[in-house]
Amino acid sequence: MPKCTINGQEVVVKDGATIIEAIHHNNQKIAHYCWHPGLSVAGVCRLCMVEIEGNPRLQIACNTVVSEGMKINNTSEKVKDAAKWGLDFHLINHPLDCPICDQAGECGLQDQYMEFGKYDPEMAERKVKKKKVVDLGPTVVLDTERCILCSRCVRFTDEVSKTNELGIFNRGDRSEIGTFDGKELDNKYSLNTVDICPVGALTSKDFRFRQRVWYLKDAQSICTGCSTGCNVKVYFNKEGLFRVKPVFNEKVNGYWMCDEGRDIYKFVNKNARLLKGKKKKPTGFEEFFPGALAKDISSLVTADPGKVAFVVTGQFTNEEYDQVFSLWTKKWGSKNIFHWLNSPEKQNEFDGLLLRGDRNPNTQGLLKRLKDFGISTQWKDLITKINTHEIDTVVVAGPENPIWFPDFKEKLASLAKAKSLIWMQSSNHPEFENVPAGTYLIPLKSFVEKEGTFTNYSGLDQKFSKVTTIVSEALTLTEACTLLAGENLMIRPDPNVLIAAHPTADRVTLEHRKKNEFVFRRGAL
Amino acid sequence: MSVVQRKSKENEWYLSGIFAGLWITGKHLVKNLLNKKQMPTLNYPEEKYEYSPRFKGNHVLTVKKDGSLRCTACMLCATNCPAECITIVASEHEDPTVEKFPIHYQIDILRCVFCGFCEEACPVDAVRMGPEWQTPGINGAQFNYDINHLAYRPQLKGGIQTVLDDEERHKSGI
Repeated sequence: MPKCTINGQEVVVKDGATIIEAIHHNNQKIAHYCWHPGLSVAGVCRLCMVEIEGNPRLQIACNTVVSEGMKINNTSEKVKDAAKWGLDFHLINHPLDCPICDQAGECGLQDQYMEFGKYDPEMAERKVKKKKVVDLGPTVVLDTERCILCSRCVRFTDEVSKTNELGIFNRGDRSEIGTFDGKELDNKYSLNTVDICPVGALTSKDFRFRQRVWYLKDAQSICTGCSTGCNVKVYFNKEGLFRVKPVFNEKVNGYWMCDEGRDIYKFVNKNARLLKGKKKKPTGFEEFFPGALAKDISSLVTADPGKVAFVVTGQFTNEEYDQVFSLWTKKWGSKNIFHWLNSPEKQNEFDGLLLRGDRNPNTQGLLKRLKDFGISTQWKDLITKINTHEIDTVVVAGPENPIWFPDFKEKLASLAKAKSLIWMQSSNHPEFENVPAGTYLIPLKSFVEKEGTFTNYSGLDQKFSKVTTIVSEALTLTEACTLLAGENLMIRPDPNVLIAAHPTADRVTLEHRKKNEFVFRRGAL
Repeated sequence: MSVVQRKSKENEWYLSGIFAGLWITGKHLVKNLLNKKQMPTLNYPEEKYEYSPRFKGNHVLTVKKDGSLRCTACMLCATNCPAECITIVASEHEDPTVEKFPIHYQIDILRCVFCGFCEEACPVDAVRMGPEWQTPGINGAQFNYDINHLAYRPQLKGGIQTVLDDEERHKSGI
């Protein structure tokens, strides 16, 4: 465990740690492009220069191992000057594309230029023109001009996804990123290359030109795409969610997430959601407020709770399961709770990096709670009970992302044979058009609109909090079941709400204020 | 709020104030009748005041040589707009050198405060404030100006050409 001094601060680092790791762990800033904590060291950008006492010349921090008693400085004028003129070389052939570049606003070049650059360029030569808008594959678009050849994406495909699609071609200022002839950047983790690209060379086809990044706010959440439970940041504004990016968590996902998980925002946005409570009539749907509809049809459930079955998917939080199961088992003594998981034969599939076949974020939590409440039911019992009219009413807490449930249509058809079907789900589905008359649809909240805990495949509990509101009338599973049980919702008054010392954030005005903050800080940017 | 009443010799007596006022009115009447050219007012609908060419009136979207929009949909004008009256939807252009262009550009002229920040923010000389200042409309008139109005309204006679040319910039290696 060597000891070193960084900017006058004594730090103890791990054996074999490089200077940049030491600086990173010490929460100090250092300019860098090519170094990424999840990838190997390349040492090509020459921006992370540091001054080491006793060493006549500057060294790169990413490839220098800390030795005992090393005195490191990365704030001196000499270091800043080196970063500044290193940046000049990066910008020689970089086009002035900022207005049309998707990365503008979160671009490494812009950030470092504002911090270290601000020079008058001394290059009189013409910029080298390269190919723009190169279609790399189904998810990524490449702009070879903007690339600064940090080789992060190449190392990612070499080391993490191990698919080796990308490479650097040609020499000198004509070198560019590309794929071998006939090969596409087409793997399950390709969009991570977009995340780690420090400039706008790689852009995501899905997010391209949809929003400028400064219009988006971010908040941390948990990916509901599969049972791995990657920690993610969702980017949203008042129009909805726009993209999902991974957040570092050593225990779960490291620095990465899969491409399919990045699509989870599509099930949350308004155009994919059930917006109103609906009742199917022979002529079509009649719309209601969700809460009012749930309270209205409570007689279907409370008349004879023994004849009601509850079907639940692994898409809800532990807190919701606890409250709903205790309502079902303790209040009514009913054990007619059935669980529905997507494609059971794929439950244990794993692609070796992150993606799992179990597409529910909380299967472990659900199974544990079913066990705790002593429920051991079989799906086929439900079908026979429906056919023998032992069960009249079926209440379903459906999946948030039905496209990952290949048996959705089949299950909907078999459950619709019951006398009345109450289907609670956050997202809409085209199959809902074909349900028989007397079916009720109640919109639920999605994972960004509620808080709770998911238990991932390994049994790790991960708490997440509310991000934003998309469908304000939607109910959580607990609220919906409480209303179905004929009870009223208890809204507990916050005792601190009138005390000035504990102001609660007003969510409505906060959103406007946040945007205005940016406008007022215009000069500073 | 309190009204301050100034006490002076002129307004101490009622009639003297009236006559002083009448004297000023009469003086200007005679002056304007004798010297019509120096009269500061205009017979508005028939005569119109000529503003400076730098007057900031209604917006114009400039066009390139081939008549297509210069705007690259970078949204800097919308970001800079204090009235939040600009709405832009960007899209991918089939020409890779253009790359990004607006399929929808709307200015809500009734919200606009004519501050000119959009013109200042524009990096490519795509939006300008024109000399037009009379924009009346009867009930139900369209005050959400779209691309068709902003760039190709009949008064512009085929569009205002931008001073920035991408082709020339590419040739000179910028």
